[in-house]
Amino acid sequence: MATRILFVTTDQQRYDALGCNGGRIARTPVIDRLAAEGIRYERAHPQNVVCMPSRATMLTGQHVRNHGVWMNGVPLPADAPTVAGLLHDAGWRTGLFGKAHFEPFLDPFLRFPENRMGRTGATDDDGRPHRGFDRMEFAGHGSVGLVHYAGWLLAEHPEQVPSFYRALDLSLDVNAAGGGDTGAPQVHDNPVPRDQYHTDWVADRTTAWLDGLDDADDWFCWMSFPDPHHPWDPPASEVGRVPWRDLDLPEGYPTDRAERERLLDAKAPHWRRWYDGDLVSNYEAPAKWVPATLTADQVREVDARTHVENELIDEALGRVLAAIAAKGWDDDLHVVFTTDHGEFQGDHGLLFKGPYHVDSLMRLPLVWRPAPSAGVAPAVVDGPVGLVDLAPTFCGIAGLEVPGWMDGAPLPASSADWSARGRPAVLTEWDSVHPSGAEVHLQTVTLDGMVCTRYEPGTSHDGSEGELWDLGDDPLQRGNLWDDPVRRSVRDELVAELDALLPDRPAEPLRVQAPV
Amino acid sequence: MDVHRELVIEASPDAVWAVVGAPERQAEWFPGMVSSEVEGTTRTIVTAAGGFLLEELLIVDHDRRVLEYRITGPFHLDHHLGRITVAPAGEDPPDGASLVTYEQELEPKALVAVLDAAIGDALVGLGDLVVNGRPGAQEGEPRF
Repeated sequence: MATRILFVTTDQQRYDALGCNGGRIARTPVIDRLAAEGIRYERAHPQNVVCMPSRATMLTGQHVRNHGVWMNGVPLPADAPTVAGLLHDAGWRTGLFGKAHFEPFLDPFLRFPENRMGRTGATDDDGRPHRGFDRMEFAGHGSVGLVHYAGWLLAEHPEQVPSFYRALDLSLDVNAAGGGDTGAPQVHDNPVPRDQYHTDWVADRTTAWLDGLDDADDWFCWMSFPDPHHPWDPPASEVGRVPWRDLDLPEGYPTDRAERERLLDAKAPHWRRWYDGDLVSNYEAPAKWVPATLTADQVREVDARTHVENELIDEALGRVLAAIAAKGWDDDLHVVFTTDHGEFQGDHGLLFKGPYHVDSLMRLPLVWRPAPSAGVAPAVVDGPVGLVDLAPTFCGIAGLEVPGWMDGAPLPASSADWSARGRPAVLTEWDSVHPSGAEVHLQTVTLDGMVCTRYEPGTSHDGSEGELWDLGDDPLQRGNLWDDPVRRSVRDELVAELDALLPDRPAEPLRVQAPV
Repeated sequence: MDVHRELVIEASPDAVWAVVGAPERQAEWFPGMVSSEVEGTTRTIVTAAGGFLLEELLIVDHDRRVLEYRITGPFHLDHHLGRITVAPAGEDPPDGASLVTYEQELEPKALVAVLDAAIGDALVGLGDLVVNGRPGAQEGEPRF
């Protein structure tokens, strides 16, 4: 009997994207069914809220300071241990299809193996597995770049290459150009046919790889959709699924401008500085876009396009699961579904992401549908878990001992299981140094329904700032309790918990080698 | 300067400058450059990723051993200046070691980290070519 793991990730997807998590816009019946049959995690947090550090954590099972990828543009060291490598060495077949991003994207001199593979169409690194994967085929967020999808589109459908949004502008900054009906940044009408869009391509390449496997093969497949990360340019044929004018504004979007700005002022100062266009702290949001210009209709249109992309992902996953079931493999198939980080999507009057440790970016969808043959009872886990726990979970499924270099632990299978582990807290870190000189450093611990963030000195902070959110009383995170004397002891306990969790910074931080 | 890298190469300044001061030879020692052709004051770099850079050569000063250029396309930079200097290092010019300094300033700064990392590789490639007589790896070896 073989053991099979389908690890499904999206990119920049919110907790409320899914019907099983209370989402009311996108229809996600496939993931909802997995959740009903398996374990749904109410509070899964990333260890960093941008792609490269978070993905490095998923692959290594390590906290950011231990794998060293402290911001986008820092490549995961070539010799970093990975869970895919462990499985490969144990005789498993291993593949990754879609977005990897363990190495920088912006690479004109082709310094990184992932980009060389994407450029040439190779599916391994000169005959060797790369980061433990026998086969890798990459996709990014558009029709160009050093990824297999771009090569395929250029070869098979060259007329569609200009159909997509240009993720970068002519200055190589993240593009601020707007489109659609509202002029929202990174919204674009994309005439590409659905079956040529990267979501379906990722599912197609996954299925093609699975078709080459034998019934007896143990396999680990990371199917990694680039959506719903911006740009928001789903196939135009699908946009009508969610008419933006029909949408209510998100609960997290304060509609009154004065109220919105008052709430931002109650947070650490970089929130308001970014909103006003006074600070560019990181590359991931368009530097030339000022959040204060965001309109309610733009929020609706971004929301609508995002949910169209969420539906396409659900349907693509459904196709892959049907192909697996047709092979008779479903009974021994574990499916884990999650994302790397969230998206503001209008919350707090903002879009995109950055050094902001709130639920918009930190509360993630996470579903583990254990193999039916394992006989695990469906459950909902309320306590916090981290993406750092994924790699140890895969080890557990495979019957491998969790190696000492992993920081996480196998995911709990129930709330009782979580409680029995002694209230494990979850750590999220951010460090960034922008070429403009802006530095931001913060660390967050989540435990007992509280989220506590501490800032270190930087160009916007003197190190005295912090945020303390009571998720039970204040799920929209509008009342910062950091300076509330009544909560001082809670704050002190959480900061002590944070200090206990936080690894030491590496003596020599890894060098940033690209903006993304 | 946004990027400042330097390397001591165990070869005389004249030997190093014989390579650096010939701008059409840059692809011989800069990993990830496929070709570097010069026509008049325009240098066209073809990169291993399939793109290209257009540059204007500003100064090639054989007496001071200074080369300056700016990127003019295809993307838009409000400002760019690249400068390579070769100077004696240590006590024994002209036969001793050379200090090669490679600097860049640019605005906007999206490419700063890319150029910094690539120039670090390039100086190693320059040393390989001058000292060992072999060109740097054309597609770049991962040094991360």
